Amino acid sequence: MTKQGRESRMVEAGNQKNVLHLPALEIRQGPNRRLYTFAVDGKQVPSFAAVSRVRRDSQQQLHGYQRPEVLAHVAAIRRYVESAESPMLPNAIVVAFDDRVRFVPADAAVVGPGYVRSGTLLVPVSDDWEDADKPGFIVDGQQRCAAIRDAGVEAFPICVTAFITADQADHRSQFILVNSTKPLPKGLIHELLPAASGPLPNQLRVRQLPATVLERLNFDERSPLRHMIQTPTNPAGVIKDNSMLRMLENSISDGVLYRFRGSDSALPNIGLMVTVLNDFWTAVRDVFGEDAWGKPPRKSRLMHGAGIISMGYLMDAIADTNGSGEDVPDTQGFAAGLKIVKDYCRWTEGTWDLGDGIPRRWNDIQNTPRDIQRITDFLVSTYSSKQGKRHDRSSRLF
Amino acid sequence: MKFFFPDSQDQVDPTFDFLTEERDPFRVRQRDDLYAHEVLKPPPFNGLLVSKAIVDGTAGSSTGKYTGPQRHRLYRQGARQFFRLNNGSTPLKIMGDCGAFSYVGEENPPYSVEEVVSFYEGCGFDYGISVDHVIFQYEPKIVHTDDAAAEWVRRQEITLDLASDFWRRCSASDVHFIPLGVAQGWSPESYAHAVKELQRIGYRRIALGGMVPLKTNEILACLQRIDDVRESDTELHLLGISRCEQIRTFADHGVTSFDSTSPFRQAFKDDRDNYYAPDRTYVALRVPQVDGNAKLKARIRSGEIGQGQAMLLERSALARLRQFDKDEVGVDAALEALAEYSAVWDRKADRTSQYRDTLESRPWRACDCTICASVGIEVIIFRGAERNKRRGFHNLHVFGQRVRRQLGEDDRD
Repeated sequence: MTKQGRESRMVEAGNQKNVLHLPALEIRQGPNRRLYTFAVDGKQVPSFAAVSRVRRDSQQQLHGYQRPEVLAHVAAIRRYVESAESPMLPNAIVVAFDDRVRFVPADAAVVGPGYVRSGTLLVPVSDDWEDADKPGFIVDGQQRCAAIRDAGVEAFPICVTAFITADQADHRSQFILVNSTKPLPKGLIHELLPAASGPLPNQLRVRQLPATVLERLNFDERSPLRHMIQTPTNPAGVIKDNSMLRMLENSISDGVLYRFRGSDSALPNIGLMVTVLNDFWTAVRDVFGEDAWGKPPRKSRLMHGAGIISMGYLMDAIADTNGSGEDVPDTQGFAAGLKIVKDYCRWTEGTWDLGDGIPRRWNDIQNTPRDIQRITDFLVSTYSSKQGKRHDRSSRLF
Repeated sequence: MKFFFPDSQDQVDPTFDFLTEERDPFRVRQRDDLYAHEVLKPPPFNGLLVSKAIVDGTAGSSTGKYTGPQRHRLYRQGARQFFRLNNGSTPLKIMGDCGAFSYVGEENPPYSVEEVVSFYEGCGFDYGISVDHVIFQYEPKIVHTDDAAAEWVRRQEITLDLASDFWRRCSASDVHFIPLGVAQGWSPESYAHAVKELQRIGYRRIALGGMVPLKTNEILACLQRIDDVRESDTELHLLGISRCEQIRTFADHGVTSFDSTSPFRQAFKDDRDNYYAPDRTYVALRVPQVDGNAKLKARIRSGEIGQGQAMLLERSALARLRQFDKDEVGVDAALEALAEYSAVWDRKADRTSQYRDTLESRPWRACDCTICASVGIEVIIFRGAERNKRRGFHNLHVFGQRVRRQLGEDDRD
C-alpha cells in the first residue's frame, strides 16, 4: 500500500502545519482561470488529494463524481510502471484544490509571456487526514494514481495540472469533460500496432501478432491480397480488416498458424505464417478466379466476412489432412483441396444447398455468426467427406 | 467399473501466478491449459463424456461452450488428440452423448439421429449414446396406461424410436464407436420395459437416464426390476450418478460404468462440502475478488463501501491464510481476517466454526495429489476459476481413490 511513512522526512518534526513546497508555473487561461502545473512524486499524492467517489447521502443528495477503480486497468498501469523498460506517463493528472492551497510568485521578474509566471505552490499535507479533509481532489488520473500507489517502486514523479476552486460542481464538469472523449477507432489501433514497441496492455499485445501478419498480407509485394484489405490508410480495400483479423486469430489459436506461433523461448515465426497465407490465398484466387476475387462483398460473398472466415477454416482443414508440423501444403496443395468444394460454392450467384433442405440465395448470406457457421460447417464437412480421409482415425470397434 | 467425467471445458492454466493473479497473456486457451488427467496421477477417471450440446450448442438457444475454432479443431483432429487422452499415465476412453438436460424443456430433441452419428464419428469417439429425451419424474405406482403417464410414455417412445433408428444407422454405416441405447422411465417397471426393448433392438450396452433426482433406494429398486429382464451380457451405464458407497451394489446389478460431475462441481457450487478428504468433506475458505463479487461491487459503486477498504480486507485475508499455512500465525488470526472481510461482502452467513474446522484440520497437508502438494492452502480458498477448478480436480482425485477403495482395488499407480 502507500508508503506514507517516507513522507514524514519531508516535514519538520513537531510542526502541525506540514506544507509541501512545490516549484510550479501559474498559467492564466482567460480572465478568471488560473492553472498550476508542477511535478510531484506520485507516491505523495494520497497525502494531499483524495478521490471523490460518487454516492448519495440519506437525503438522496449526490456527492462526489468518481467511479470505483477499475482494478484490471490499475493492474495494467502498475505492471507498466514496474516494468524495466523506462516507463513514462507523459500526460498530467488533474487535481482540484480548495483555497487552503496558495501560490507564491517568485520575486525575480522573468522576461517572458505575460500569461505565465513561476513560483511555488504551497500544499498542506498530513498523514492523518480522512479523505474529506484533504485539500485536493483528483479530477482525472485516479487509475494512474492508484497504480503508482500500489506499484513496487520507491518513487515515481508525475506531472500534475491543478486549479483552485471550492465549488464541487466545477470539479464535476471538469471530470465530465476529460472523460467524455471518444476512444480511438479500433481499425486505427490495429493499423498502428505492428509498428508500436514497448509494453502495451496485454489485450493489445495479443492483437499485435495478427495485426502484423495482416499488414504483411496487405502491403507485401508478393501477397495475393496486396491492397485488398480495408484499413484507415487503405480505404479502397474490399475485405474488411475485422474479417481478416478474425480469420487470422482463429487459425493462430486453433489452426495451422498455431504451429508457428512460437513458445516460451521462441518468437512467432511471422515469415512462415505469411508464406502459408500467401500460398493459400493465391490458391483461392486461382481456383475461384475473376468471378469472385477482388470484388466488393456486395458482389462477391468470397470477399465478405462469411467468405473470408469460412475460407480460413477450410485452410486449417486442408492443412491438417496434409500432415503436421512444418509440413504445410503449397499453392498446388491448397488448390487441390479447394477444387474439391469449388462446385458447391455460390459466392456470386445462384443458391447454396447446405444440406439442411433450406435453399439460400448467394446474397442472403450475411456476416453473422450463424451464417458464418453454416457456410463453414458445410464447406469443411463437404471437404472432409469428399476427400475421403475421414474414417482412418481409430480402429474399428463395432 | 469405469468412471467417466463429463467435459465442460474444465482445464487449469499452468501459467497462473497465485500471488499476482496474473497469467501469461499469450497462453492459448485449452491448448496451453491442462486437463485433470494431465495433472493428476493416476488419472482420476477412466474417460471423458462429451456432449453435443456442449460442443455444438443447440440449434435454438445456446451456442455451446466451445469457440468456433475449437469446435472445428476437435472435428479435424479427433477427440484423442484434442483432449490429449494419451497424455495421462493411462490412456482414456471417450463417450459421446447429446446432453439431454440442455433440451429437457423442449417438445422434441433438437438433434437428428444422423447428425448425432456424424458428431460421434466425426470426433472419433469410443462410445456413442443414442438420442434421448429425459423423463424427470419418479412415480412407481403409476402404470403406463394411466393418463398421468401420457407425457412420460411419449418421451419413452421417442427415446426408443430414436434408439432403434440409431442402431440401424450405426449398423448400416459401419461406425467406429460402440453404440449405447438409453432407457428412460419413471418407475422400475417402465425402466425394465425400456431395457427389454433396447435389448430386442440389439443393444448390449444400455445407459440409464433421468435418474439424477432419484434417491439411492429408488435407483436400486429400478436396478432390481431391470435384473428380471437383463441379458447376462448386457452392461449398464448410469448417467449422472456418483453415489460412491453403492458402487459394489450397482456392479452386482450389471452396472459397468457411470459418469458424474458432482465431485468437481461441489468444489464451487456446494454450500459446505467443497473439499474432499478420504472420509469426509470440508468447507472452502471464501475470499472473493473485490472485482468479482457482484453484490460487493454494487455496494462499492453506490458509494456504500469504500473500495480501498474492501481491497485492504481482501488482501489481509489472503495474507493471513498464507501466513497460517507457513505456521507464522495461529488459527484465530486467520479466522479474524476472514470474518472482517466477509462482513463487507456477506453479512448473512457466519461460517466461523466451519472455517475453524477446515483450518485446524489442514487437510491439504495430508493430501497426496499433485495440486495440494504444489499450491498448498490456495487449493482450499474459494476464489476465482483457477483456484476453484484446482480444488475440483483435487476432489476428482479423492473421488477416484474412494471408488477404487470401494471396489477393493489396489490404489497404487
